Amino acid sequence: MRRRSLEIVLAMVGGTFLISVPWVIPALIDSFWVSVITEILIWSLFASSVNLLFGYVGLLSFGQALYFGFGMYGVALGIDHLGLSFWPAFGLGIFSAMAMALVSGVFAVRLSSHYFAIITVVFSLIFYFLAVSDKPLTGGDDGINFSLPPLFSFDGKVFSLTDPTLQYFFVLAVVSLCLFLMHRVINSPLGKGFLAVRDNDLRASLIGLNVYVLRLIAFVMAGCLTGVSGALFAFFGRYASASYMFYQVSGEAVVWTIVGGAGTLFGPLVGTALFIVIREIVSSHWEHHSLIVGLLAILAVIFAPKGIVGLWNGWVNRPGEREAPRPVPQPLTLQAEP
Amino acid sequence: MSATVRGDVLAEPVLRTENLTKRFGGLVAVDNLSITLAGGRVHAIIGPNGAGKTTFFNLVTGLLSPDSGRIFFRGRDITGARPHVISRLGIKRTLQVKSVFPDLSVADNLWITRQARNRFLHAFRPAARDTETRLRVEETLEQIGLADLAARPAGTLSYGDVAMLEIGMAIISEPSLLLLDEPTCGMSPAETARAVGKIRELSRTIDLVIIEHDMDVVFGIADDITVLAQGAILASGGPAAIAEDERVREAYLGRPEDEDFVEEALNA
Amino acid sequence: MKDTVLLLAMNGLIWGLIIALIALGLSVIFGLLDIINIAHGDFFMVGTVLAWFSLSLTGNFWIGFVVAPLVGFILGAVIQRLVIQPIHGAAALSIVATFGLSLILQETVRITFGATPGRILAPIPGTVHLFGVDYDVYRLFAAAVALAALGGFFLFLQHTKLGIWMRAVRHDRETAVAMGIPAKRVYVLTFGIGFALAAFGGAVAAPITTVDFRGGVDVLPFCFMAVIIGGLGNLPGTVAAAVLLSFLEGLIQSIADPTSARISSLVLMSAVLLLRPQGLFKGFAK
Repeated sequence: MRRRSLEIVLAMVGGTFLISVPWVIPALIDSFWVSVITEILIWSLFASSVNLLFGYVGLLSFGQALYFGFGMYGVALGIDHLGLSFWPAFGLGIFSAMAMALVSGVFAVRLSSHYFAIITVVFSLIFYFLAVSDKPLTGGDDGINFSLPPLFSFDGKVFSLTDPTLQYFFVLAVVSLCLFLMHRVINSPLGKGFLAVRDNDLRASLIGLNVYVLRLIAFVMAGCLTGVSGALFAFFGRYASASYMFYQVSGEAVVWTIVGGAGTLFGPLVGTALFIVIREIVSSHWEHHSLIVGLLAILAVIFAPKGIVGLWNGWVNRPGEREAPRPVPQPLTLQAEP
Repeated sequence: MSATVRGDVLAEPVLRTENLTKRFGGLVAVDNLSITLAGGRVHAIIGPNGAGKTTFFNLVTGLLSPDSGRIFFRGRDITGARPHVISRLGIKRTLQVKSVFPDLSVADNLWITRQARNRFLHAFRPAARDTETRLRVEETLEQIGLADLAARPAGTLSYGDVAMLEIGMAIISEPSLLLLDEPTCGMSPAETARAVGKIRELSRTIDLVIIEHDMDVVFGIADDITVLAQGAILASGGPAAIAEDERVREAYLGRPEDEDFVEEALNA
Repeated sequence: MKDTVLLLAMNGLIWGLIIALIALGLSVIFGLLDIINIAHGDFFMVGTVLAWFSLSLTGNFWIGFVVAPLVGFILGAVIQRLVIQPIHGAAALSIVATFGLSLILQETVRITFGATPGRILAPIPGTVHLFGVDYDVYRLFAAAVALAALGGFFLFLQHTKLGIWMRAVRHDRETAVAMGIPAKRVYVLTFGIGFALAAFGGAVAAPITTVDFRGGVDVLPFCFMAVIIGGLGNLPGTVAAAVLLSFLEGLIQSIADPTSARISSLVLMSAVLLLRPQGLFKGFAK
């Protein structure tokens, strides 16, 4: 099949490119762009969490920034207040994000569609305001800075993420691992269960699937991804700020996901890369790059609702390939309850 | 859940309700319904529109909870249980508006229906590795004649094929009791014949309750018929008795003298 | 201390009436078109900016009361036709679309109006002594205008053809279409009306708030709170909820701080969503 071989070639080119970034990019453009690509990878995980929920389970979350914040502050406060070293702080960030996702998911996942989207924003706003008002702890919108503990020590030599190359590979490794795990889940029985719930939650419960539990599992998994993203971000900037918990951040991630292609594995990465690159290029000449973001969002929604990767899948026309979710007419709506 | 072989009359009726009532605002959809359905026979539930037939199915499958009354499945009280719990006890159903998983392939529709029987869905193992499920899916695809459409997204299928897929999903889930809600609704005569054939096959091993409007179908395959009107039982009995029942004719047609109904029924 | 409580409570009440106008616009859009309009706060903000431009270009503040809703209506209708209709109002896609719209509106205002907040002086100066407190005359006037506008809108819904069409389509779209009501046109006009209501609220509120391209960000969550707590599709409920919430927040502010007030409203909203999603006020719906 011509398409398969084309995709394999693309994957190999993409993989080779990503591995060679710390040397190729400074040579061709500027070493500044290595950190831009690092940032793209970090934010693409955030977008992937939105994608997992929306593209595969049919839940549009507009409040993932909350778990990003928990991941971020878990690391920052773990290092700054609790004196944790690198890996425990990383673990704390991920764990607190997942715990928060579980607690809020227990309630949020009982709602569907519009109400679910709204309550995810409400939860994230509550914690945003709490974070902003507790300035001594969180630094509010200004945030807190901290110094980075080393990654590990080996034979007397200290390895730390302050080295941009090491940082890049660390982020690349973590993001790749997360995407690989996501790939496994999507193609597993659980993943098919997710899709069934997405396509027709009424039917899903009639064949015996526990819709509530499946949605909750997905929500916690998404919280984990966002938490990892937040933790990486904290390590990346040695910085944590409440402003990243605001709903506008969540909203941008939703746009990246949908423009890149919801319901595809690499859609979020493509969308995130597109928007961040545009931001970097445009903002150096013109400060109103948000205008372009807004225009692109609207154009994408009207002309390419399946996103870039979705268009690619459609163009090469593989039958049976997962398409972007669309509303299904149902005689009864199902209230998912525990 | 093992299926029942027709001809075995079980001591415990398959389905039994006691004073089942459901109201929607001021409207009484199901009115103090006490019905007993014996195992090993094909039951049809008929009645004019709004008689409460689908509401009855919704109550039995847990999509609605009754205002009062109880529901027993093989002696077990399932009143108020959640839909997925009732499903895992062995009661499966099709919906009036044909409803499958549109973005999943035909094969995957069957696949997930089969997997839903398991307590846990594995999270990290590739789905393709489950050979038992894959074999059953292939078997079922052959049975319902959709093998060459296996990779197509279910949403792109014709109406008749979607109905067959629903029946396939019912087969692969090995139900103990199967509720079919207007299985031939909207079908052409050819599709109807195909569906009726499949339903007859199923009736040999599975307890069936069918809601139908097509009298040919009803009188062709039902052993017992219950007629509902305004949420209550109007009449019940074998096909011949129902065909001659004046009240039934009145409920459907409003004119006790109308002969066509009887014609249709007796010539089925 | 008592003065502050009274003052904040009255401020809350008056602001609640104005917000009720804006929330009503959202309720109409959300209730009829099923769209979560992320840009709704920015509709309000555009209203304040239009008021500012009317004042600076003509020297007359009151012209803004006409310009804002008019321009708002036209913009809303155009947006519905160009952006919302092609996507058939699909839930997730419209959220993204209105999010993009929000960015566009904010940046356009930032480009044309600038990033520095502006202030409009009260067109009716002076205070009046009321309940033992000196109260701004304009605030009272604004409340009266908002009240009149609310009343006018409900009269419109009850007695005009478009109003009746809107209610019919919201109640049962299929039957309405079968009866010959042009649903698509109703949607276009409804979105226009939603924008116009918010923009008018902005014009009225302009002298008592700041004119700033970020002015919509704070208003948006509040509008959603009013719509949800009041009950989706329940227009009088939305009004009651807006006034009540604003009043309560004003009271809480006097004993705590604005952030705590906002957090309590959000918690209340969560409770309503989870426990009683049809809203707190029953019996007015439809």
